Amino acid sequence: MNEERGRWYLLTGLVIGAVLGLAYAWLVSPREYLDTSPASLQVDFKDQYRAMIALAYVSDGNLARARARLELLQDEDAIRSLAEQAQRTLAEGRSPREAQALGLLAVSLGQGPIPLPSLPPANPSPSPVATASPSPSPQATQTASPSPNITSTPQVPAITRTTFATGMPLPTRTPTSTPGAPFVLQEKTFVCDQNLGGPLLQVQAQDAASQPLAGVEVIVTWEGGEDHFFTGLKPDMGPGYADFAMTPGVVYILRLADGGEPVEDLTAAECEAEGGARYWGSWLLVFSRP
Amino acid sequence: MVRWFWFIVAVLFGAALGMLYGWVINPVEFVDTTPSTLRVDYRSDYVLMVAEVYSAERDLEAAVRRLAILGDKPPDESVREVMIFAAQAPYADSDQALLSQLASDLQTRSPTLGAPAP
Repeated sequence: MNEERGRWYLLTGLVIGAVLGLAYAWLVSPREYLDTSPASLQVDFKDQYRAMIALAYVSDGNLARARARLELLQDEDAIRSLAEQAQRTLAEGRSPREAQALGLLAVSLGQGPIPLPSLPPANPSPSPVATASPSPSPQATQTASPSPNITSTPQVPAITRTTFATGMPLPTRTPTSTPGAPFVLQEKTFVCDQNLGGPLLQVQAQDAASQPLAGVEVIVTWEGGEDHFFTGLKPDMGPGYADFAMTPGVVYILRLADGGEPVEDLTAAECEAEGGARYWGSWLLVFSRP
Repeated sequence: MVRWFWFIVAVLFGAALGMLYGWVINPVEFVDTTPSTLRVDYRSDYVLMVAEVYSAERDLEAAVRRLAILGDKPPDESVREVMIFAAQAPYADSDQALLSQLASDLQTRSPTLGAPAP
């Protein structure tokens, strides 16, 4: 009887000890991770790390190093992560320089090293340097409402995001925009395509040999607002492609930052399907260097 | 008395097993870490990226902001630590020069005003 009680005491002690030990190891003093890898970073820190990789790539042009650094983040699809972050950066009105760097790295990873254009200045407007907060970017105007005397239902124009198909192949190697003669509008076409999902201003930038150009800055203005974006941030649509979602009733002017004539009076217009249903069409503008 | 002795021994043995399981076999996993916990070589590479970008942008305040995510340390101290690691690793001379340039420029920056000192 006493022997049996003794064995139970031992088992009870063992269980109590194990529970206490686990509580100490998991709750009181969990193992500290001081030597983590970039892959374990919080999402927002991962984004910052990725942006730094892209900016460093644009600074030194070392694609192998950028690729090795990106591998540390263990993204399932690094190109897509870069492109999506570039679009997020623009849509949220943050640094266009960062967005362009992310886009250029995405294009470079898909096509091999490309000539790197000069990026927009890090600080587009003079600002006091005493504060540690990020300087406001020109995209802040994106949230401005279009003029009420033009549109009956004022809405905020927003950059559309394309849903990426998995494993989307990228086109063959394409040069990026380098300073040269101003772009010329080659084609202005009204496109009726229900799959586009809304009224878009679609831009294609090409060089003199009709090869798509990544990194071309596009400026869209409307009464009370302005937005900047770059070609090449949607690799699935081609490196020379960019688009902007129009708000019906608002009149837009589009031009390329590298120069050339602006395209005026761009407004959303409707198309009619075979069954009589109406939907918004889009404008396709093709620019090329002469 | 003997029974109590063995009971305490069992508790200690159980605690040891529990800690072995909690620390070694199945430790708490950290998936949302901050850059301050990065291993020194990753942290050094991040600082090197900041230095690379700084060499192109020459925007010291942007570099300070980028270094700030590494923790509470002053940015010049973070860069100095990385320079020591870079010398031991060793990093390429060109990379060490970039770090050195950033460290030097940070030293001339007044931390209170956030602007280069005269």
